Order: sequence, then structure tokens, then C-alpha cells
Amino acid sequence: MTFASFATVACCLFLFGVFFLFTANMNFISRQIESQCQLTAYIHPDVTDATQKSAYEAILKIDGVENAELETKAQAFTNFKEMLGDRADVLEGLEGKDFLRSSVKVSLMDIRNSEAVVKKIARIPGVEEVRNRQDIVGKVISFTDIVKHGSIIAMIILLIVAIFIIQNTIKLSVYAREREIKIMKFVGATDHFIRTPFVLEGIIIGSLGFIVSFVIIMLGYNAAIGSISGIVSMFAFVQLESVALLLALCMAGFGVLMGAAGSGLSIKRYLKV
Amino acid sequence: MIEFKDVTVIYDKDVVGLDKASFTINSGEFVFLVGKTGAGKSSAIKLLTGEIKPTSGDVIIDGIIVNSLKRSKIPYLRRAQGVVFQDFRLLPNKTVFENVAFAMEIIGKSKKEIRRKVPKILTLVGLGDKGNNYPHEISGGEQQRVSIARALVNSPSLIIADEPTGNLDVETSADIMKIFDEINKMGTTIVMVTHSEKIVNDMCKRVIQLDNGMVVRDEENGVYNLGV
Repeated sequence: MTFASFATVACCLFLFGVFFLFTANMNFISRQIESQCQLTAYIHPDVTDATQKSAYEAILKIDGVENAELETKAQAFTNFKEMLGDRADVLEGLEGKDFLRSSVKVSLMDIRNSEAVVKKIARIPGVEEVRNRQDIVGKVISFTDIVKHGSIIAMIILLIVAIFIIQNTIKLSVYAREREIKIMKFVGATDHFIRTPFVLEGIIIGSLGFIVSFVIIMLGYNAAIGSISGIVSMFAFVQLESVALLLALCMAGFGVLMGAAGSGLSIKRYLKV
Repeated sequence: MIEFKDVTVIYDKDVVGLDKASFTINSGEFVFLVGKTGAGKSSAIKLLTGEIKPTSGDVIIDGIIVNSLKRSKIPYLRRAQGVVFQDFRLLPNKTVFENVAFAMEIIGKSKKEIRRKVPKILTLVGLGDKGNNYPHEISGGEQQRVSIARALVNSPSLIIADEPTGNLDVETSADIMKIFDEINKMGTTIVMVTHSEKIVNDMCKRVIQLDNGMVVRDEENGVYNLGV
């Protein structure tokens, strides 16, 4: 029965670990998508270089702006030319003409603040127009919200289900020792005296379950990410080293809690003798 | 001293366990509780061990109202009692010595004291040479002696025996009763539930008869006669 409890705890912790890493990766990818949602502030073509520079510096100082990059007319022309590649010859003779505007590409700390930042940028002297891909931003926000809220709800459900399963498994192990518990009660053992070894056993089961499931996850994660990266190359994935400590702490805490709470709850009804 | 004062026990679905039962048992007495199945004997025992509480009335042991004790205090009440069951309730994976020692370990007695006291008690119940045997290696009568030794080892002032000879043959039962008699002579109060007419008649001790939860007879030097 102890093995059944251990196997159940290990399986629940493994699922918890997989889910933890899945959520971490989804959040990581969400942040990558969010960081790609930049604002573009176009500078009025007639302003001086000094005004252009001060507009750029003013944008950098705005609350909520993570980073900003100034693209001068000349840089814009070069970039445009590069983008056209083989067909760059269509730009022949246009070099030096003022048909492209200077712009500032603005990355935000949180794309939910984009409207406020757009208003502030629009008021800066020298800024002609601010473009914000509101349609894409809205979709990205709702996607990342679903990921965040969904992962919290799923984590809570997993936790409840895991405690329920473990409590039932440990209940079987406690049931097998019901006779011993009854005898202990009749010779005057306190609840604390009876409960302690069961809770300790639960903690040991939880700890062993943690060690086994954590090792499997450590070994399996990099291999899994390696093969997924081959298919989905547009996103970077969370490096195991960066979350290993947090994951280990969560899994160990969850395992010990499940073991101790499962045992403590399972034994409760047998103490009423 | 044990006092039952107008004790009524009503279980779920209005099943009556005891009905205004009142009696007093003095320290050092040997009392048989007799009656048909469902008469209320088990309820009386459960009240003594604090396993259940009366619906009304009081159960008082040595001045302590058992039914007002907090749940956390019940273990300490039981340490002053020894309980012997019909089915012995021994731990099969422990030796005779360990089964008896278990009762001392639970209340935090030292190993030295356990090593000193357990052999003495085993000798008292006639099992001085069986300490290393497991329960399945000894007879039913011997298993009951182990159970008595376990009940005695913490020197309780009260021994509660619930049909202790119910699973034993006549000869073995007589041996077991001799042990109880000796324990009683040492000053321990004994309350015993039994269905054995022979034992009650042979022992000639006080008999309290219950019927439908009520005390219908309370006799010194009584006999079994249920009046059926």
C-alpha cells in the first residue's frame, strides 16, 4: 500500500511538474509575442535633427516605455532597400529624397498601457503620428490573459484532484492499520502520538515521490524541448536551469504537503474511537 | 468509584442504548454486567472508556465526570483503565513481550522500566516463558492472557472486560477467570460483561442485569439467571 501511495504521489507530482513547465513556457512565449507588439512614432519630416533627438529622448522618459529605437530617414531608406532585396533597383534615383520619415520604434513594458503611452507620445513636439496595431494588441492581450488565468485554474483543479486521489490511496494504507490504531486508542495513546508516524510516513512518501518525478522531469524536459524546437522555431523556450530551483521547491512543497495532509486527513476518522 | 447517574443513551434512529440507568460500583469490586444482546451492556462499557457520551445523565469515575471530559483528555482516562476484549486484539506482527510493552511505550515509559515490568506481568498471567512467541504461535487462552497482561501492565485501577472468555473453552475460561480473581484481590476494580452462566454462577460476585437499557437487577453474590 505504501508503494501505491508513493506511485500516486510521484505521478501527481510529475503531472504538476509538466504542467508547471508548460505554463512557464506559455507565459514565456506570451511575453515574446507581447514584446514584438511595438508602437511606431513617426517624426514630422520638417523638424530639425535636434528636435528629432529631443523627441526620441522624451519618448524614452515616458513611464511604461521599456525601450525605444530611433530610425533616421537614412536608416529607414537602407532598411527599406534591404527589405526589397533583389528588387531594390526600384529605389534607384530616390536616394537622398525625403519620401521616408524618421521614426521611433517603442517597446512597452506592458502592452495593456499602449493607449496611454500613445497619447503621451502624440503630445511630444516633432511627433507627427503614432501607429499602434490596436487590433493585434487586443488579440495578444486576450491570448496571454487566457494563458495566465487558465493556468491558475488548471493548477488549482490539479491540486484538488491530486489531494483527493492521495487521500484515498493513503486511506487504504491507514485502513490496513485500523486494528493497530484502535488498540493504541484503547491503551491511552493520544491522537498526536498516533498521528505523528502516519504524517511522517506521508512526508517521506511525498519526498520520495518528489525525487523520482523531479529526476524524470529534469531528464525529459531538454529532450522534449529539443524536439519541439525543431518544429516550432519561431519562439524561444524556457531554459530548465532558470526555473529548476523554483520548480524543485514547488514540487517538494507540494509533495510534502500532499503526503502530510493526505495522511493526516485519512487518519482523522480512525481517531474517533 | 464508578457512578452511573440516570444515564440515557439514544443512538441514531431512536435506538435506546441505556434508559435512565443508575448504579454505583465501589473501588475494588468485581461486577458482572449481564443481559441479552442489545440490553445495553456494550453501551455501558463504551461510556466507561469515553467512546460515547450519554444523551443525558452522568458517568463519574473517581470523581471525574467522564462525559464532560474534552476529547483530548480521554487518552489519560484510558491510561487508568485496562480493557480486555473477546477477540484479544493483539498485534500479529509483534511478539508477546512487544504486545505488552506496546501499552507502556505509548504512554512514554522508559525502556528500562519496560524491561523490568513486562516479564513480571507475563509471569503473573502464567506466560513467563512465552515472551518471544508471536500471537499465532500460542493458544487462544494464552492470547487472552497476553491481552490481560497488556491491560494490567500500566497498573490501572479499573479493568473492563468485554466477554473475555467468549472465544475460549470451559477449562481455559476457568483459568482466565482465576487470573481476573487474583487481579481483583490485589485491589483492582473489575467490570466484566459476559454471557457465560457458568462463570457468573461459579464466581458468585455482584451481578447487574440490564434489559432494554434499564437496570432490572442488582445483586450481591448474584447468579446469571436472566429470567428467560
